[in-house]
Amino acid sequence: MILRINFKSGMPIYLQLVDQIKTAAASGALRPGEALPSIRPLAEELRVNRNTVAKAYTELESLGVIETLPGRGCFLKENHSALRKEIRRKLLTVEIDQAIVQAHHLQVPREEFLELIHERMHVLADKRRANEDYKKKEV
Amino acid sequence: MNSPTSAIQIENLSYAYGRAEAVRDLSLTVQPGRCYGLFGRNGAGKTTTMKCLLNLLRPQRGQVRIFGLDPTKEEVAVKRLLSYVPDQVAFYPWMSVRETLDYLASFRPHWNRKTEQELFEHFGLDPAQRAGSLSKGQRTQVALIAAVCPETDLLVLDEPTSGLDPIVRREFIETVIGAYQEGIPGKRTILVSTHLITEFEGLIDQFTIIDRGQAVLTLDSDQARERYQRIRARFAQSPPELDLKAALHVRRDGRELELIANGAGLELLEHLRQHNPEALSTESLTLEEIFVAILKS
Repeated sequence: MILRINFKSGMPIYLQLVDQIKTAAASGALRPGEALPSIRPLAEELRVNRNTVAKAYTELESLGVIETLPGRGCFLKENHSALRKEIRRKLLTVEIDQAIVQAHHLQVPREEFLELIHERMHVLADKRRANEDYKKKEV
Repeated sequence: MNSPTSAIQIENLSYAYGRAEAVRDLSLTVQPGRCYGLFGRNGAGKTTTMKCLLNLLRPQRGQVRIFGLDPTKEEVAVKRLLSYVPDQVAFYPWMSVRETLDYLASFRPHWNRKTEQELFEHFGLDPAQRAGSLSKGQRTQVALIAAVCPETDLLVLDEPTSGLDPIVRREFIETVIGAYQEGIPGKRTILVSTHLITEFEGLIDQFTIIDRGQAVLTLDSDQARERYQRIRARFAQSPPELDLKAALHVRRDGRELELIANGAGLELLEHLRQHNPEALSTESLTLEEIFVAILKS
């Protein structure tokens, strides 16, 4: 999993890390049970404050995406949806609304937008499958 | 004092060299555990401010406090709490690197030998080399080792990377992140003055821009990047007459328009959108771009 910071995105750095790790988990680049990079080397590599990385990990932990095992580090949770179904839906609604607003401004029509969602779901599913196949070969 | 636990508290500090005012009525507060940037052009008053913190200069007006202590009255106690990398590093030229570090360690109640060894190897320094024959980069590396190993609560860096090559600069910052920020999170505090802002961008939580001795802007880094946005719009014909008073800078070039927004990005964006631009984009300014935008306005 390679993380990148973009200072021009306007998004706080710790949230960029949170997003990228969530994406890595969704695409299978980071698999359940796998370790996340330790705070110090990651901070050095990205040349960001260690508090920033620690804040991202705390956020991911409170979202139920990762867990911290004392003395061993942070790991992607086996089943990383600790949140109740309605809360999960609510969180997703916010994101979807943003995408719909964006689609409106970019003049992407409804049908095309829905098509794009299907397309992206396929792409992520393919990625995940490819990552799983790779894992099987490793074993 | 609004908080007795502030790592650094500067209140209405003024200092003049003869009639030349270097620092004028400067106030800032650094909370413990933060990495605080002091940004300014050459001669803006950064070094004078730092010298007042270190009791190398006495404030002529106002006051400074380090963890609540007055450096002019409790110099020893303050020096025990901080370490310092100056912009011009000077060692006794006849001493070897080893002797230099042993000499500096003798003033310190605590010295992390393990960190010293790791950094020695990392930088590829020769302990037997005479300090007088070190390159500028190597001198800074030795000064950094000497500043990191005592593991003080406050690390003060004055223009630490200016004049160094890009590799040494990179290693310097990695060392500050890795070795210095070790231990209890939120405990170690860093104050860094620089005009090479880009390199410290990720490290800095909060900053003050000073110009001609005065604080011009103090902000949290994430908030700053959210507030200062560059908006670009391209229209089919030459841009309509728009009310863009909310923008910090406006540049027009043919059918294109470029704005720097300070906090009013969303409104400006919406305003532009109503005139149906062909293209409309926005990005945050980096801290360095904010610095330039502020000092040029």
